[in-house]
Amino acid sequence: MVFVVFLLYLFLVGVKALESGIQGFGADFTDSLFKGVSNPLAGLFVGVLATVLVQSSSVTTATIVGLVGAGTLTVPLAVPMIMGANIGTTVTNTLASLGYLRRSSEFRRAFAGATMHDFFNIMAVAVLLPLELATGFLSKGAAALAGFLGKSTDLEFESPDSPIKAAVKAPVKLFENIVEGLGAHNTVLSILLFILGLALIFVALAYITRNMKLVVAGRIERSMNVVLAKGGGITAMAIGLIMTVAVQSSSITTSVLVPMIAAGVLTLANAYPITLGANVGTTVTALLASLATDRPEGLVIALVHTLFNISGILLFYPIPQLRRIPLYLAGKLAAVAEVRKSLVIVYVIGAFVLVPLLGILILQ
Amino acid sequence: MVLDFFRGGGDAQLERIEAQIRQMLLDDRHTFDNAINALIGGTDPALVGKDIRKTDKGVNKAERAVRRELVVHVSVRGTSADIPLVLASMSVVKDAERIGDYSKNIWDIANSGVDLSDAEDITVLTRYRDRISKMIGETARVFGEKDLEAAHTMLQAGDVLQDEYDELIDEQLHTEKPAREAVPRALLYRYFKRITAHLMNILTSLVMPIDRLDYYDEAKADRE
Repeated sequence: MVFVVFLLYLFLVGVKALESGIQGFGADFTDSLFKGVSNPLAGLFVGVLATVLVQSSSVTTATIVGLVGAGTLTVPLAVPMIMGANIGTTVTNTLASLGYLRRSSEFRRAFAGATMHDFFNIMAVAVLLPLELATGFLSKGAAALAGFLGKSTDLEFESPDSPIKAAVKAPVKLFENIVEGLGAHNTVLSILLFILGLALIFVALAYITRNMKLVVAGRIERSMNVVLAKGGGITAMAIGLIMTVAVQSSSITTSVLVPMIAAGVLTLANAYPITLGANVGTTVTALLASLATDRPEGLVIALVHTLFNISGILLFYPIPQLRRIPLYLAGKLAAVAEVRKSLVIVYVIGAFVLVPLLGILILQ
Repeated sequence: MVLDFFRGGGDAQLERIEAQIRQMLLDDRHTFDNAINALIGGTDPALVGKDIRKTDKGVNKAERAVRRELVVHVSVRGTSADIPLVLASMSVVKDAERIGDYSKNIWDIANSGVDLSDAEDITVLTRYRDRISKMIGETARVFGEKDLEAAHTMLQAGDVLQDEYDELIDEQLHTEKPAREAVPRALLYRYFKRITAHLMNILTSLVMPIDRLDYYDEAKADRE
């Protein structure tokens, strides 16, 4: 556990280094960089594609929090990206389901289990993104919540003396001094900080996930057995949430479900709430990342991520007819995929690579 | 609840699975005792029938639960799963379930009207009843405690028992006695043989490599 705490610290240092690096590029550079994503749909596709490429929504959202925290990306521009990251992260368990391609009935169950997450997230974005663009309810709600937290939890966003921020800034400052001592300034220093930040975020999260998975494997097994014995519902949702917070990866949680669904021991209906819990659990990474940022907007965008996933659940889960839609669509897609396996490749590459890529090219 | 999630855990799930298999064996012994006593102990089969069916259903349910938990173990642990133990458990749990089925078959003989409580060979039948009942209980203990030495000893004793059953079955196949006497005994000794074989399969999981599970009698060199 001490090692995991150290890794968490490295993760925060990474976010800080990224933030410092971005700030060093200057306003003109970052303005031109994000000009292309001023279209919300383009931002959404950037979020999808970035997450598919790094195979981790945690890395994408932490990076977005770093960018917002640095003041180079605004909250309204970042919201679609965060939603895109939510969609992009579902590719991992879809890829995991491809391992069953040779065994039709198992593949059908596995693919349906994986793609129900895709359908839920796409549906949530389809409803909540236009609503957010029209009303700003997520960003306004998150800002209000951040304000409330700022007052009640003694978080001093602007204070450089905050213990966590001070501890996180120190190694970044040391790195800057060393690099400057070697003669690198301005743009070179910023590039090095940016690379260091991304590398630290990526490596720290990967090791946190790996270590925590080993630490909590026994508990995960026990929790899964509880779901198998009692069925889905709120308990399953809570288990999905806690599991994901523990391993800092919704992909791990949802991918663990795939073999169980394929084997037929876990039904789609019982796995579904675990997936939704994982959606909320994964937002903790962005909340942690916001601890290292200077500006309150970092926390605001992290809270948008949380509110978005909670809103999705509130929108589609309580009413049984709506709850069943992602399961129905996933079941239908899996039935077609079982017969025409080439469609699986078309779906994965099309939905997660081609559509976002074309979307970015056309809309920017 | 959240903090509890991070505390402990370890290999408790596999230990739980082993405990479930042990409990299945203890339930098997209960079923066997009831069934054999309905046939040779003078117990009214109707009195124990409900109990036997209920216990057997419980054993079957436990088998499915263990299989599910093994799938969960492999899904969660991935490459760090204890694969040999999982494969052995899948095999062992089937053996435990089959012992319950054969015990139920013994009760079926009694329930069809056969009563051997006053038979002339009752002493022989009682001796085998006691040996098998004790062997089921001992297998549960040895499996739970992973007592390798006892497992070897029991496998050797089981091997001798299997030869005895073969002789007894052969005797019934060539007897001049009427079918109503020979058939129940041939069936009973066959069931004894199968129960003993399944117990030996369970014991082999403790002392034999995974690929030779269930094949104790075909690799005598492995016994030493």
